Amino acid sequence: MDKVLELKDLSLSFYTKQGEIEAVRGVNLSLNKGEILAIVGESGCGKTVMSKAVLKLLPKNSKIKTGSIIIDGEDITDYSENKMRSIRGGVVSMVFQDAMTTLNPTIPVGKQIAEAVLKHNKVNSEEAKKRALEMMDLVGIDDSMHRYYMQPHYFSGGMRQRCVLAIALASNPKVLFADEPTTALDVTVQAKILDLLLEIREKTGISIVFITHDFGVVARIADRVAVMYAGKIVEIGTAEDVFYDPRHPYTWGLMLCLPYLAKEGQPLESIAGMPPVMINIPKGDAFAIRNKYALEIDYEEQPPMFEISATHSAATWLLDERAPKIQPPVSIKRGLKNG
Amino acid sequence: MNEKNIFIKKTTYRILGFVFAMLILSIVVFYFARLAPGDPLQSFYGDSVESMTAKELQAARVRLGLNEPIFIQYIKWIENAFHGDFGLSLKYKIPAMSVVSPLIGNTLVLGGTAYILMFIMAVLLAVACAVNEDSVFDRLICKTGTVSYYVPPFWLGILLVLIFSINFKWFPSSGAYDVGKANDIINRIKHMVLPLVVMIMSHLWYYAYMIRNKLLDEVRKDYVLLAKAKGLKKSEIMWKHCLRNALPTIVNIMAISIPHVLSGTYIAEAVFNYPGLGSLSIESAKYHDYNLLMLLVLITGFLVIFSSIIAKTINEIIDPRMKETEVSAWQK
Repeated sequence: MDKVLELKDLSLSFYTKQGEIEAVRGVNLSLNKGEILAIVGESGCGKTVMSKAVLKLLPKNSKIKTGSIIIDGEDITDYSENKMRSIRGGVVSMVFQDAMTTLNPTIPVGKQIAEAVLKHNKVNSEEAKKRALEMMDLVGIDDSMHRYYMQPHYFSGGMRQRCVLAIALASNPKVLFADEPTTALDVTVQAKILDLLLEIREKTGISIVFITHDFGVVARIADRVAVMYAGKIVEIGTAEDVFYDPRHPYTWGLMLCLPYLAKEGQPLESIAGMPPVMINIPKGDAFAIRNKYALEIDYEEQPPMFEISATHSAATWLLDERAPKIQPPVSIKRGLKNG
Repeated sequence: MNEKNIFIKKTTYRILGFVFAMLILSIVVFYFARLAPGDPLQSFYGDSVESMTAKELQAARVRLGLNEPIFIQYIKWIENAFHGDFGLSLKYKIPAMSVVSPLIGNTLVLGGTAYILMFIMAVLLAVACAVNEDSVFDRLICKTGTVSYYVPPFWLGILLVLIFSINFKWFPSSGAYDVGKANDIINRIKHMVLPLVVMIMSHLWYYAYMIRNKLLDEVRKDYVLLAKAKGLKKSEIMWKHCLRNALPTIVNIMAISIPHVLSGTYIAEAVFNYPGLGSLSIESAKYHDYNLLMLLVLITGFLVIFSSIIAKTINEIIDPRMKETEVSAWQK
């Protein structure tokens, strides 16, 4: 399969007055054509930073330390601002978390879509308008002729997210980063947007990186899942691998937090402690202090990626052959059988 | 309620507010002008007032209507004002209106030109600074601007006269035109250059800085991120997105700045002896020329209040959200 996006050992830091913040630490990732990859993790684990890094939308005090970003076989790590502009929106698009505020409030939505078309295609404004109307139809905005001229404040949250999606898809990009696009929406609208994304993937063959902290959303949409913790990918595999055979204790923890896995009459599980501050990360596994199953070596050395199958791997010392055999919490297995 | 009714109601409301503000303004100025020390008869009769007897003085006061209580004077004045009669100028001894009318054009042309040039320059400067935020260019302009803002305009005027009129003899130092060249446009423009420089220099940075900061507020908003993700250039984002969203603020600033610019015009007129409303106002206050002063105040007040109404209307056209909120307030 063609790889449209590849991150090779990507490390990125912010340099602040308090010190170096290691937001992304050696991420290896690849995205196949037409695939939906979900990246799951707590707030502050580096999901968003990683995706913004691909588009180089991060502030000036950030710097890619090592590794490379390869899009469609081309290494864009050292691309200048000028070259990046043709990548942004043209080859790689991004949908941001809060659709309420990402549209310009004073410009009619249609024109905002047409602007993206004009930027990356050699068309006149008539053709751009036509394309924008097509896009509005594609993302399910009825009566597009009329709505083309409406400002964003006439639209509901779900409709605005559709508009943002139309902007992102306007120039037929190869990769779409969707950064928690459904978080600000209510559940029914969420479901519709997810269906829309699946439908668009069918129609256009676009690859999607879907960033979320919601395992429910992941189950619905993703082909592959990557679990991220403290700037690292700790487990990656197909949706089946990760859901039916999770191997990393952090993945177990995240799954235990799902309400439908909780036992009736008992408080909802949560992962003890807080994600680490990314300045002066302790040596060893960053998850060790929150990990019930932590081994001594977890405090000493970072675990490498252990390959479980061709598609599935996880970074935990529990997978080392010398480690004690630990079974995942029973409620995960039971819950999955029921669900 | 349909939209037409709302519009009528809103317009009526604004006109009423306008009339009310003008009334308050006239009462306050009318009263305060008479509180100031000095005798208007002095300016009416000049030095001969000193040789007049008390009886003659009293008769003069009665003739000019200055003997009555201030309240009655005001009622009479406003009654006449509604008929378009603003009374006699005490100094010039002709109707106040005919003293003012030939000078209105001068002031409007001078003030208007300064106003338009200043805001064009302010927006350009603000955009240039905002696009290059925190660069050497931005910092340099900010520092120079702050210094320029604190240079007193009258001092700057004198300095300019010294350099460009006396030393280089490029521009004339005073007046609106040379004798006998009233219809020579080039000559008139030459006379406007130095006052314009003074007016623009004294206010430009203040407004450029406000606009720059508003633009930088906008740059930090989420829609800029989306615009960037679309692949737009920084300058494109600034002109097409940020400036548009900052426009209501800029229009507001422009409306609020009218009194500011007008006062600048008055100072420039005084320094360069430019015949206009400004130099006339200062003169009328100096000579206790009540009627003339009232007329000038009304004109100035009219310009200020009217401009704020215009600004509000323009804002609604630019940003329909403002209309919506006001409409819903009316429907309650």
